[in-house]
Amino acid sequence: MIPSWILDIFAAIMLLVAVVSAARLAAARPWGGGRRAALADIDLAHLLMAIAMAGMLVASLQTLPDGAWEAVFAVMTAWFAYRVLRDAQVSGVRALAGGHCAPHLIHAGAMLYMFLAVAAPIAHGSGGMSGMGGGMSGMGTLELPFLAFLFALALVGYSIWDLDQLSGPGTSGHYSLAVAGAPSAPVLTGVGAPAGPGATAVLTEPASHPMVTETIETAPEVPPASAPADGTGVLAPWVATGCRIAMGITMAFMLVIMI
Amino acid sequence: MSEIAAAGVRPAWRTRPGARAEAARGAPDARRLLQLALAGIWLLDGVLQYQAFMFSKGFSDMISGTASGNPRAVASPITWNASLVQHHLVLVNAIFATIQVLLGIGIAWRPAVRVALAASIAWALGVWWFGEGLGMVLTSAASPVNGAPGAVILYALLAVLLWPADRPGRLAPFTAARAVGAPVARALWLVLWLSLAWFALLPGNRAPQALHDMIAGMADGEPGWLAGLDRGAASLLARQGLAASVVLAIALVIVAAGVYLPARYARGTLVLAIVIAAVIWVFGEAFGAILTGGGTDPNSGPLLALLALAYWPTRAAVTRPAPAPAAAAIAEGTTAS
Repeated sequence: MIPSWILDIFAAIMLLVAVVSAARLAAARPWGGGRRAALADIDLAHLLMAIAMAGMLVASLQTLPDGAWEAVFAVMTAWFAYRVLRDAQVSGVRALAGGHCAPHLIHAGAMLYMFLAVAAPIAHGSGGMSGMGGGMSGMGTLELPFLAFLFALALVGYSIWDLDQLSGPGTSGHYSLAVAGAPSAPVLTGVGAPAGPGATAVLTEPASHPMVTETIETAPEVPPASAPADGTGVLAPWVATGCRIAMGITMAFMLVIMI
Repeated sequence: MSEIAAAGVRPAWRTRPGARAEAARGAPDARRLLQLALAGIWLLDGVLQYQAFMFSKGFSDMISGTASGNPRAVASPITWNASLVQHHLVLVNAIFATIQVLLGIGIAWRPAVRVALAASIAWALGVWWFGEGLGMVLTSAASPVNGAPGAVILYALLAVLLWPADRPGRLAPFTAARAVGAPVARALWLVLWLSLAWFALLPGNRAPQALHDMIAGMADGEPGWLAGLDRGAASLLARQGLAASVVLAIALVIVAAGVYLPARYARGTLVLAIVIAAVIWVFGEAFGAILTGGGTDPNSGPLLALLALAYWPTRAAVTRPAPAPAAAAIAEGTTAS
């Protein structure tokens, strides 16, 4: 039986992710339209998934019935599938390998799978995963466990990739602490961008994603295109990536313990 | 270098999204990708360690079972470890799981890659002895089909071969040679695969029903389709233990020698290695028994395949000059400390 305090820790991490995502939504004011509105889906997805996962881990944190969450994640999966297809039209396979929406598609799909595939949900227990069934350990088991394994592999893969991109030069246009935190620092900049005075700048890739930032070598006099006013504080891109990493690992954990 | 120059001759606005950055940064480093794969497996290991089974007495029983057949000097620490786990099951297993998760995160987090790889070597060696009974290599139960020489020792081997350092001025014919040099890397490969061939020919493994029983035994608790695959494979090997073991051993010897062959032939043997690893993983290891809810790791199959990729000949062997300290640190993510 998995100790409840372990589930509590993961649930607490999810609550933190939910709070951060809510703060990002509030700070970005997506209702104003423009670039920030285009980002709202990711923060909204983080918020909803984190709340749902916290409720799955700890019974007392449950909010909506399973059926409602199934509907939410079905819509979310369809939305991110559309986004991935749209990205694929522009950047081909890169949309799957390094795009920004592919991980969210996997996350949403995994959530939908967990709600749909849980076997024989029983009365809520005190330990956790109560909405996902019962059994000796207070957890449900998932039908099609191989699918759970594949989802877990994909989530682990994306989390590892995000960690790598966050901590150093990226190759897929992902966010990087080096870019968000210290754009002019010689450390942790692009491999192909030798460090030097003014050697780096933050550029924007509007065709791929409104907030995809890249570090490339450029002339020192070129100012950062579209100054990253929304790249600081809670709106810093690495915050969203950090939330995604936390959710990916937690989701993989949940999938594995329900196999 | 200008933005246009970074992307080639095309102006930036005509460049495929991401291509500018890709051109500026160069292709992803093969060693880093292999490190990330290793990180992913460690992270998966850690997550698997949180399964309910690992918090049960079955986990300590599994550990104590690896003492059986081992010399006393090897078995005693295993028994001690099993006792420790049994008495402090929740705490110890939670620590085990967390350590493995942190190893995965650390390898993926560039500033921590060296520390995490070094820690992973120490951890893997400890688990190999105290948790896996040295992969049972000192017993008659070791078989390449069931995971010998122990999956976890392959983690340590990979950490050594993928260590983020380069031998200045030396030719690196494949990724695994970059840190330790080609002769050492080839010798390690040779020892590993020859030992697998040796295990395949042990009396207990070449008995008429040995492989059949081993594979059929993996079907227990697996999903229907995988159990069916195992039973089908087992029925093919019924009373064919000797022939199958000899064929397997020959294939393993070919793989072992492959890294000493010219690149085009080496690639063929590496493909053979990956195929063998896949067959072992699916039929012999049933994906590390992960689908039963009791697998502690994906077992040796993926590690063997990852090793094979680390020995894949590079198209153009690169002479690597000693990199500038800053550039080297950036590329390997070691700047934080």
